[in-house]
Amino acid sequence: MTTTTAPARTGHSAGRGVTFGGVLRSEWIKLRSLRSTWWCFAIMLVVIVGFGALLGASAGFTTGGAAPSGDQAQQITVFSATGGIAFGQLVAAVLGALVITGEYGTGMIRSTFTAVPRRTSAVVAKLLLVTLSTFVVSLVAVLLALLVTRPMLAGIDVEADLGDGDLWLALVAAAGSVALIGAIGFGLGSIIRLSAAAVATGIGIVFVLPILFQILILSVGMDKAWPANLQEFSPSQAATRMYEYQVEGQAGLLTGVAVDGAVVLEPWQAGLVLVGWAVLLLVIGLALVKRRDV
Amino acid sequence: MIEAHGLTKRYGPKTALDDVTFTVRPGVVTGFLGPNGAGKSTTMRMVVGLDRPTSGTVTVNGTSYAAHRAPLHEVGVLLDAKAVHKGRSARDHLLAMAATHGIGRSRVDEVIGLTGLEPVAKKRVGGFSLGMGQRLGIAAALLGDPRTVIFDEPVNGLDPEGVTWVRQLCRHLAGEGRTVFLSSHLMSEMAQTADHLIVLGRGRVLADSPLRDVISGASGVGARVRSPHVDHLVGLVRPEATDVVALEPGLVELRGVSAARVGEVAASAGLALHELTPVERSLEDAYLALTQDAVEYHAGTTGAPQEAAR
Repeated sequence: MTTTTAPARTGHSAGRGVTFGGVLRSEWIKLRSLRSTWWCFAIMLVVIVGFGALLGASAGFTTGGAAPSGDQAQQITVFSATGGIAFGQLVAAVLGALVITGEYGTGMIRSTFTAVPRRTSAVVAKLLLVTLSTFVVSLVAVLLALLVTRPMLAGIDVEADLGDGDLWLALVAAAGSVALIGAIGFGLGSIIRLSAAAVATGIGIVFVLPILFQILILSVGMDKAWPANLQEFSPSQAATRMYEYQVEGQAGLLTGVAVDGAVVLEPWQAGLVLVGWAVLLLVIGLALVKRRDV
Repeated sequence: MIEAHGLTKRYGPKTALDDVTFTVRPGVVTGFLGPNGAGKSTTMRMVVGLDRPTSGTVTVNGTSYAAHRAPLHEVGVLLDAKAVHKGRSARDHLLAMAATHGIGRSRVDEVIGLTGLEPVAKKRVGGFSLGMGQRLGIAAALLGDPRTVIFDEPVNGLDPEGVTWVRQLCRHLAGEGRTVFLSSHLMSEMAQTADHLIVLGRGRVLADSPLRDVISGASGVGARVRSPHVDHLVGLVRPEATDVVALEPGLVELRGVSAARVGEVAASAGLALHELTPVERSLEDAYLALTQDAVEYHAGTTGAPQEAAR
């Protein structure tokens, strides 16, 4: 311990103020200096590659032994490589929420908003970093899953054409869906503030909402289109639609047969729906964050 | 320089701060004193824009905190030791704070040295003692070499050496011409550190004056007298005393008059005294006297208020 008292005047007060670049750097230091971040990324990697391998190994049940057509081969290849994406989304929702609720829970948020009293740039920087880093990690994971599943699929005569742009687009979109669910988790966290409640809500949106929609669709009846249309614009469905390899005139391997007359979004449209959800939650979250005492 | 005008904060029907106005000047240590729950922390959080006043304004160096281009260079604040993520190391916490203002690593290491955190700088904050947490909070407050520092209960949890260090630090910072605003609920702590006192009780400013004025205004001499002729004696001394409290039959406490004076009066009147004790009111008593009616939760009062409060 020291009894020195002089904080040397070394000209720190000269000029430089809060810049967005500085806030980004600050939030990056925060994100990478927590173990929970690395745990989430590691789990994301394991579930995406692991479930991909599991689906790759069991793909024989999908083909029924017969050699698939070209389109089917593409479909099965994407289906296997993205087999763990739903679980990846779950982890991303948790990480996204924790990035901000962790600060409320520990009181760190007061330090953050003392350094950045206008608050908006700190929140936006957090969101950008958690979304981008989640995208990178899940993209790496999905490519690893492709690498792992290819030899498995070759064993059952499923040979995908890697020159097909749609296949790569689907894989990138899969990583994008994980990142956007992370952004939605962050938005929920900024609104709810409590880790447990925000994580539970995130899990509810990714895992429970689709089940509720299935129940709704079945109870209303398959002849009505509106429950299916409602589902189509929900975050969970959009996040699935986004990376499904779609074959003209065939049911998706993830979303199944569409209800007659119901809207079916193109992957890019589904992506926009998801972006819309993330932006909506961010806007609500920002408005609350700026108003609330911390 | 911190200037607060009519700060009011209501939480539903409860008024936490009621029209609080004060100025904290540079070059002196200003103590912010009040019982727990008086509104000190709320006021300090308002200064740096963490809480919004229901009405009123507060400025730092002429502008609201959030309007400063480089707030950490204007104000350094220790709000409570727990404003840190437990999972992060002390150094990473400071690096992250510094990065927002483009403050370099060298300054981070400097404040780590200054606050004696070197041995634990790379450890996660979750395992810190309260004292280490306080040191980290002070390190963060000094990062921007600010013109104004605000410390909320800085000596909480510090060992005696740490307490002395904080006192010296505050005196030193004020000596450099900075504005130093620190809170405590302990009068004795303030007496050793502050030049000027703002006393807060139940959300109102009860006193705002130099330390010695607050003390002399609220304290004073007194005497406790036991005598078979106590009524006669009180009759003689009453004009000089500010207050008389009958403690038990034959025993009174006289305020505003010295024991020596009571003795002289008794001698000249030929009254026998069985007991004569000078009663000096301590700083704590002065403070208690000021805030007596302004304490949110009294301890169960039995007997004389002074006795019960001790």
